[in-house]
Amino acid sequence: MNARIAAATRMGFREQARRPLLLVLLVVLPFFFITRAIARTEPTPRLIGLPGGGEVLTTMKDVHGASMVTITVAFLAALCGAFIMRSAQSADRRLIVAGFRPMEAVVPRLAVLASATGVVLTVSLAVTALSFTPASWPAFIAGNLLVGLTYACIGALAGAALGQLGATYLVLFLAMLGIGILQNPMFGDGTPGGLAYVFPDYGAGRVIIDGAFSPGFHAWGELALALAWLTVLGLAVAGMLRRLLRTAA
Amino acid sequence: MTRTAVFAREQLRAPFTLALLVVIPALFVVSAAGALNDFASALGGSLAGDAAVGLSAGWAAAFISGALGFFQAASSRGADRRLALAGLGPARVALSRIAASVGLAFIAAAAAFVALLLRVDVAHPLHAGIAVLAFALLYLAIGVLVGSLVSAPLEGSLLVVFVFLLDAFSGPGMSGGSPPPWAVSQKAADVLIAAGTGTDTPTDEWVKVAVVTGGALVAAFLVFVASARSRA
Repeated sequence: MNARIAAATRMGFREQARRPLLLVLLVVLPFFFITRAIARTEPTPRLIGLPGGGEVLTTMKDVHGASMVTITVAFLAALCGAFIMRSAQSADRRLIVAGFRPMEAVVPRLAVLASATGVVLTVSLAVTALSFTPASWPAFIAGNLLVGLTYACIGALAGAALGQLGATYLVLFLAMLGIGILQNPMFGDGTPGGLAYVFPDYGAGRVIIDGAFSPGFHAWGELALALAWLTVLGLAVAGMLRRLLRTAA
Repeated sequence: MTRTAVFAREQLRAPFTLALLVVIPALFVVSAAGALNDFASALGGSLAGDAAVGLSAGWAAAFISGALGFFQAASSRGADRRLALAGLGPARVALSRIAASVGLAFIAAAAAFVALLLRVDVAHPLHAGIAVLAFALLYLAIGVLVGSLVSAPLEGSLLVVFVFLLDAFSGPGMSGGSPPPWAVSQKAADVLIAAGTGTDTPTDEWVKVAVVTGGALVAAFLVFVASARSRA
């Protein structure tokens, strides 16, 4: 790895490690939110649609268990994305003036963002495992990772385009509407439809449900869609960062 | 231009903030009401129909105002210190900041309230409007309190979200049993649900709403003044 990238990445992680309150919140919030939500959900029968056209009869408690980690990861990753991007805008311009190439400043930020998403995901999955066991852990984890990274990118774009307040409003509303309501099989007829298709979290959301309730994997199309969205958003974030940092050169 | 107006304009300087302040509460009411009904049932609560729509208006106003209060308090640390030292004094600065935030919170609450009126027939619209405003002011106070103590935007906004989620999950109609102490918007929510269903709210319940909301604003003011003084 390029020495500058390695140094900037190291400093980026050190910057985050100096914020104990953030680390506490990234652990405590998922623990409380997920545990409480699952514990208070009634085991009411619920029929939900699976990718590939199948259906499964489960309970609201299990559906909530499957969806809570996704909602938590989406919320937290989106906020992390928004504010990591904003701190990058101010601090990384000095790196460019000091001689860094834009990509040498962008890659470390993306690494920090991905790591923050990973921390939230790990804690959320660990807490969820206390109350819910998905049919397929690999698919469940992959889907949630895709959701986290997708919302981290959305947060980063909002952070660059809007002010702090506007970015907070937008990312939390999108996370609530997308993952919290439209993709959530607790609501409606148990199968996302309509507006859910146009949200970037649709594919990853279906991968999660497939991993949670289906013994085999049937969400190949949805997985491809999720990866396509993540690629587009990731390139948009990298491009946005490069443009912002290049103007400082 | 008055200090309050200047502080309010400062928050709205970023692109689309004013539009989001109005659009997001309205969209939340329209999109979340049906889901809240199902969600409450899943948690063993009794929230249904128009009561769910009413509560969504309160929560929309609360969430928007909480974040607003936090950023209003947290982003102004350096400027407030200098203003206080320049002769305004911490109390007047705090009063102007909170007044600016109240004005903006009023806009968000109004947007949520209008969306509520358009979505359902509210039996007591005046009661509902006051209750939605109470949600907004309560969470504004929470946001200012957090912003006075925590300056980092990510940590502070996470704390406000944490308080909001604690409260929302424990609210009336969202779960069975008596509300825990962190259900801070309980009284306002009771009034809002009663307004939606046409039930009259007793005077002592109004007093409780006023005491909780007013007390929260006073507490936020005092903490803000103390933190502004200590920033010197």
